[in-house]
Amino acid sequence: MANDKSDVWQGTLALMVLKTLEAMGELHGYGIARRIEQTSGDLLSVNYGTLYPALLKLEQEGYISSEWGVSDNNRKAKFYKLTRAGRKQLEKEAREWEQTTAILARFLAPGEVSR
Amino acid sequence: MRAIRAWFLRVGGLFGKQRRDSELAAELECHLQMHVADNLRAGMTPEEARRNALIKLGGVEQTKENYRERRGFPWLESLLQDVRFGLRMLRKNPGFTTVVVLTMALGIGANTIIFSMVNGFLLTPLSVRRPEQITALAIQQKNVPVGVSGFSYPEFIDFRNQTDAFSDVFANVISTVALRADDRTDQLSVSYVSANFFAALGLRPAFGRLILPGDGEVFGQPPLLVLGYSFWQKRFGGDNDVVGKQVRISGRAATIIGVAPRDFRGMFSPFEIDGYLPLGAVAMEESSDHFTLDRGQRRILAFGRLRPGVSVPKAQNSLDVIALRLAGQYPATDAGIRVRVIPEKRARPQPYANDIFIVIGVLFLVFAGLILLLACMNVTNVVLARALVRQREIAVRAALGAVPSRLIRQMLTETLLLALLGGVSGLALAGLTNRLAPSVHFPNFPLRLDFAFDWRVYMYAFAAAVFAGIVSGLPPALRASRADVNSVLRDEGLTRGGKHRLHSDLVIAQIACSLTLLITAGLFVRSLEHIEGTYLGFNPDHVLNLITDPSQDGYDHARTVEFYRELEDRIRALPGVQAASLAGSVPIGSFPARTPVLSESQPADPNRQPPSILYNTIDPGYFETMGVPLLRGRGFTEGDNETAPPVAIVNETMARKFWPHRDPIGERFRMKNATGPLVEIIGVARDGKYQTVAEDFQPYFYVPLAQNYVSRRVLEIRSRVPPESLAAQVQRETHAIAPDVSIVDLRTMKQSLEGGTGYFVFRLGASLAVQMGLVGLLLAVVGVYGVVSFAVNQRTHEIGIRMALGASPQDILVLVLRRGVVLVIAGVLVGLIASWALGRTISHVLVGVSSTDPVVYAAATVMLSCVALLACWIPARRAMRVDPMVALRYE
Repeated sequence: MANDKSDVWQGTLALMVLKTLEAMGELHGYGIARRIEQTSGDLLSVNYGTLYPALLKLEQEGYISSEWGVSDNNRKAKFYKLTRAGRKQLEKEAREWEQTTAILARFLAPGEVSR
Repeated sequence: MRAIRAWFLRVGGLFGKQRRDSELAAELECHLQMHVADNLRAGMTPEEARRNALIKLGGVEQTKENYRERRGFPWLESLLQDVRFGLRMLRKNPGFTTVVVLTMALGIGANTIIFSMVNGFLLTPLSVRRPEQITALAIQQKNVPVGVSGFSYPEFIDFRNQTDAFSDVFANVISTVALRADDRTDQLSVSYVSANFFAALGLRPAFGRLILPGDGEVFGQPPLLVLGYSFWQKRFGGDNDVVGKQVRISGRAATIIGVAPRDFRGMFSPFEIDGYLPLGAVAMEESSDHFTLDRGQRRILAFGRLRPGVSVPKAQNSLDVIALRLAGQYPATDAGIRVRVIPEKRARPQPYANDIFIVIGVLFLVFAGLILLLACMNVTNVVLARALVRQREIAVRAALGAVPSRLIRQMLTETLLLALLGGVSGLALAGLTNRLAPSVHFPNFPLRLDFAFDWRVYMYAFAAAVFAGIVSGLPPALRASRADVNSVLRDEGLTRGGKHRLHSDLVIAQIACSLTLLITAGLFVRSLEHIEGTYLGFNPDHVLNLITDPSQDGYDHARTVEFYRELEDRIRALPGVQAASLAGSVPIGSFPARTPVLSESQPADPNRQPPSILYNTIDPGYFETMGVPLLRGRGFTEGDNETAPPVAIVNETMARKFWPHRDPIGERFRMKNATGPLVEIIGVARDGKYQTVAEDFQPYFYVPLAQNYVSRRVLEIRSRVPPESLAAQVQRETHAIAPDVSIVDLRTMKQSLEGGTGYFVFRLGASLAVQMGLVGLLLAVVGVYGVVSFAVNQRTHEIGIRMALGASPQDILVLVLRRGVVLVIAGVLVGLIASWALGRTISHVLVGVSSTDPVVYAAATVMLSCVALLACWIPARRAMRVDPMVALRYE
């Protein structure tokens, strides 16, 4: 990538998509991407080539559903929204993620791990 | 769960590709537009806005590809692509496709036919409840192989009462009876079944009722008859009124009570049972006195239904304990006996030593496998030749980035498609052959040649097709994938080297396979020849046999004797009749009588059952009529009647076994038991065959009819004219004397010999083996011809140069032939070794011929070599006539 922003990697992208949809309700693909970038304080750049397959995967797994609708500026767009299973999955993944980061934080905190 | 759901959606994603693609395009386009709009709002110029959005999106096509991969299964899509491409290639080359499909069809068809036979004989489960629980119980006496005898009734009862490994132990006795109904007599193959037989099998009647446990095993009751379904259809036209019908069985009143279920054909597979009688009715048969008490009368075939959770070895242990107990209790009859527990499928039609039917089945499957291999090798040849033509196409694909595994997959897909098409055609071919196969008639038992195609046959054909596709496609595919892309693309030259090696190996393998098939076919033919040439102990030419049994038609002793006397007189008076005489049975093809024999000069061993010996009751003219040579002593005369002392004539084997190194004439023995009649030997007759044409010589003796009354007799008529021509007249004469006596059987001795106990099995085996041998030969010849022609074509250029440099046409002929000869010799050597190895395993299936019979080996080798060399010679001749000028301009 030409810019210095980090790419979002696969596993976390799904979590971010779910969280975004929880916060925003119905949203189209472009909106999801922008929202993720904004939330990250423009530190992240969403690769659209991975975003759409990821959306498809989530939909196949039943965590989100999609519907064609009309956007704010009267454009035909595909809107995604969270399903009940998706809500549960989000809770679960968020919990796991917190655990992971907590563990990693302990490792990275200076002096805590004996050499 | 989520994964499964996603998987299903992905499978769904394989379809409706275009709609989904356009939907994705719309979504991405919308995305792009929104992005552009945002950029514009942020103050970019339209061009800049669009460019930035496109860069950010990161390549629409790549995104689409990623999306597609997630949507379906990429490997499955590429497989479908391969299949579509393969089908297109096959359509474009109809000649190639036809040749390969036909070759495959031949190979797979032959396999399907053989497998459907093996399936019908050995694999199809009985149509009973939980057939896998049914086991055959084979009693084995000391020093005697399994299957020589069955259980006696008291033994059966002992085992049934004492074992707890089986939920049911049930039994039947296979026999034939005459059924008289509506003034017509039919021969029926019947099972006398134990009271629990149908209940243990879990069967329900098609109509009426079956024999129930309540019907008991009471002996001497008026019998109840259950008809077999197809006999009911055949004889009574499927008439429901048949239940309750009064009929006569072996002269006794009986009642038809029901019809067995349609899919159940009895426990003597592959033979079909026409009727079922209670076991108690066995006592009706003349030879069955004391059936319930005599531990030596071993006629019962027993079965057990394993209790759930009981394994065969566990059941075996349980029976071993009982056998040991019985041996202690009844040392005279049961010492050293064992009862073997054998899964029912492995004991058809009854338990046999060394599983002979299974061996034969496997053997023919191996033959069929060889034919399939031959067919595959031919296909490999053709595909190899075509791979050369397609070399450029394949090289281009490789240059464009197709990895070897992808190339192999694509080429394998093509041969697999061909093989599957071949499989379908092969199934059609096999089905057609099955339908056209002539029905086979057995004199004693209706053999049910029911080779219907069930799922096993289809699975087998499918497996054979997949096997054929991979085996024939893999070598060319591997070779093509390894081809050097550079050299092919640069000079269009034909890569040489490995190709010839593979072709040579194929020729050698084909010759070897074909030779093995031919030699085995030859061994079977020699077996048949040997059997047909075997001296039977009598002269079977120009003999017509008439079987009647007046006692079944209500005749008493005196009327029966009178009937036979008159019949004999009238038949002898017919023009064309040379001689006629009466006997209790006819050798080969009807049931001979048996009796225990106790020699007077040998003290009876209390630990051994006296041997049971076959015998025949004959009149004084029998030896002359049948052409049985009397070696010593005298034949029977009219003087050997009821009032004279009992006499007998023994055969050579009996004389040697009972009275070794002694003159048997004047010796005496008892029939039946220790208190039976004492019989004096007055002559010795030549050994012969009595039950089957392939049996070893066994003890046998003759006693006069006048001293041993039987009501069922054969009138053996020796004629000067073809015996068939007398049949109608004999029938008329019989009815003229006694219109109420029914003819049980009327056929020539030759016809009897073609039956199940005669040459039938050997003819069937030999004709199957020969047909397979010829198919194999044909495939091998086509293969050799193809390879050599191909090689000649490849070398046209070289041959042209040689001729231009002064080689004579003869030199060229030698050049081409030499290679052919070397390959044929190599193939023959490999084939001889393979045949030798295979021959050792089939030696006990052959009769009267060694598995290394030099005549067969020589004949097969010469035949195959000649044909193979001819297949080389034709293309070699063509090479000889190559015009050097044309050949040099060739490329």
